[in-house]
Amino acid sequence: MLDHKSISSSELIQETFRLAKQYQDLNCFVTMNEDRGIKKAHSIDQADSSHSQLSGIPMAQKDLFCTEGLRTTCSSKILSNFIPPYTATAVQKLEEAGSIIVGKTNMDEFAMGSSNETSYFGNVHNPWRKGYVPGGSSGGSAAAVAAGIVSAATGTDTGGSIRQPAAHCGITGLKPTYGRVSRWGMIAFASSLDQAGPLARTAEDCAILLNAMSGHDLKDTTSLDVETPDFLASINQPVKGLKIGIIKEFDLGDLDSEVQARFEESKNLYEKLGAEFIEISLPNISASVPTYYSIAPAECSSNLSRFDGVRFGHRADNTEDLNDLYIKSRSEGFGEEVKRRILIGTYALSAGYYDAYYKKAQQVRRLIKNDFEEAFNSVDLMMTPTSPNTAFAFGSKGAQNPIELYLEDLFTISSNLAGLPAISIPHGMVHSLPSGLQLIGNFLQEDKILNAAHIFQQNSEFHLAKPSMEDF
Amino acid sequence: MDQETVRTICYLARLEIDKEKSEKIENDLETIIQLIGGLQAIDTSEVEPLYSPLEKTALKHEDIEASDNQKEKFLKNAAASNKDYFLVPRVVE
Repeated sequence: MLDHKSISSSELIQETFRLAKQYQDLNCFVTMNEDRGIKKAHSIDQADSSHSQLSGIPMAQKDLFCTEGLRTTCSSKILSNFIPPYTATAVQKLEEAGSIIVGKTNMDEFAMGSSNETSYFGNVHNPWRKGYVPGGSSGGSAAAVAAGIVSAATGTDTGGSIRQPAAHCGITGLKPTYGRVSRWGMIAFASSLDQAGPLARTAEDCAILLNAMSGHDLKDTTSLDVETPDFLASINQPVKGLKIGIIKEFDLGDLDSEVQARFEESKNLYEKLGAEFIEISLPNISASVPTYYSIAPAECSSNLSRFDGVRFGHRADNTEDLNDLYIKSRSEGFGEEVKRRILIGTYALSAGYYDAYYKKAQQVRRLIKNDFEEAFNSVDLMMTPTSPNTAFAFGSKGAQNPIELYLEDLFTISSNLAGLPAISIPHGMVHSLPSGLQLIGNFLQEDKILNAAHIFQQNSEFHLAKPSMEDF
Repeated sequence: MDQETVRTICYLARLEIDKEKSEKIENDLETIIQLIGGLQAIDTSEVEPLYSPLEKTALKHEDIEASDNQKEKFLKNAAASNKDYFLVPRVVE
């Protein structure tokens, strides 16, 4: 519509802000970018130059990406007043491609969570059912896309935080290969696991966004120095002959019968399209959750040590000395889940425990990665449900036992440990809530999973379903 | 996970836990430690740790000046600063 000038960028951005206000009860935005967004839309309309695919497209940016001059909080009290002096590379690339920042989306605090219930700014509602979680940690981004406020958003994925909210909100979300997208300006949670990626309604839109976001960045030493392929180029390849692995160690028989049914139906669809399913073994995959919950908290305890009240962020009043300033600023500034993970991480890295917990976990991590490498000798990609469950009511999981929430990451975590790309696409409803299908690809093979996801969407209509929004 | 250990790791992490929340935190930590302790059963003898999926060493580049002095920009977000320094409570008596 923008290309054919049936709507201007200014009209589109105004409508976006109107929808954001109309659906403010979702609580998916922490900070809006109205003045600058409208100004950019106006300048796009005035420009004579030819438009790129993202020119004038309103986008929601997860509030974990630094955006120059625009508050960036990580949904934490400790950064509630932080105005970054620079913009994250991934966001900069999207801006240079013409997209317009609508606002910064709500999330689990410092990306620690699977339900968007740990935010300092309150829970995000799932657009499909008020009072239910959208998933996390990129809950605000997923909700904004599902509600139709924006057609595209960024998220970050450390243990499933793009894919799981995409599944719970009935949209598509992609975690790229580790190193595909620069982490410069992405406030770090777990540096060897974090990766930025797109959320949108379709695999095709995710491919467009990934094209813009990807690329080597000298400012990020973990950024891969590889050429970015055109992820749209191979998106329409037929899947006849595609070998899809089913992981035998994931016993889906324990899942809700409707979750199992949706998975079987998706398998049948791919078989009808000519794909072939092969049972594969990843012998150490059941160790993924304990491995992740050793490594991620350890890395987070190190990364979050920078929040000390000195150079930025919340500083406590009335402190006796420097040490007291550190302790009080951090204790007042961080929420419960963040504190829990920092403490676990500190313990795992401490003298006497480092070998038993952190080093051990990194050794098991290598075993998990090796299992994937071996299995990819016989399959092109792997398929699992994205999440064992659908969205749940606020407060119904994890309050008594944090492990309950950690197990929501069962299917997504292993691809973060191994650095592999993975996508979640909607594949039907379970008890009237969206359910997601996950495809895991080999290293740097986002093209294969985008292709398989796109062909699925060309032969089904699940990605077209939208919530009624009548409760908002 | 005894109280002394919790106090030590709280100090290392520069965090203090409210007294009314301390029992829950201790129980949570104990539960999580039990979860990750399950990895001990896996044989990892002769297995090198995988600290990053990329297994890269730190990249080097030429030691040349690449940006302007942005002192003012970086002092802007501090709760207390003067024109040159971040300010904190007195450290040296």
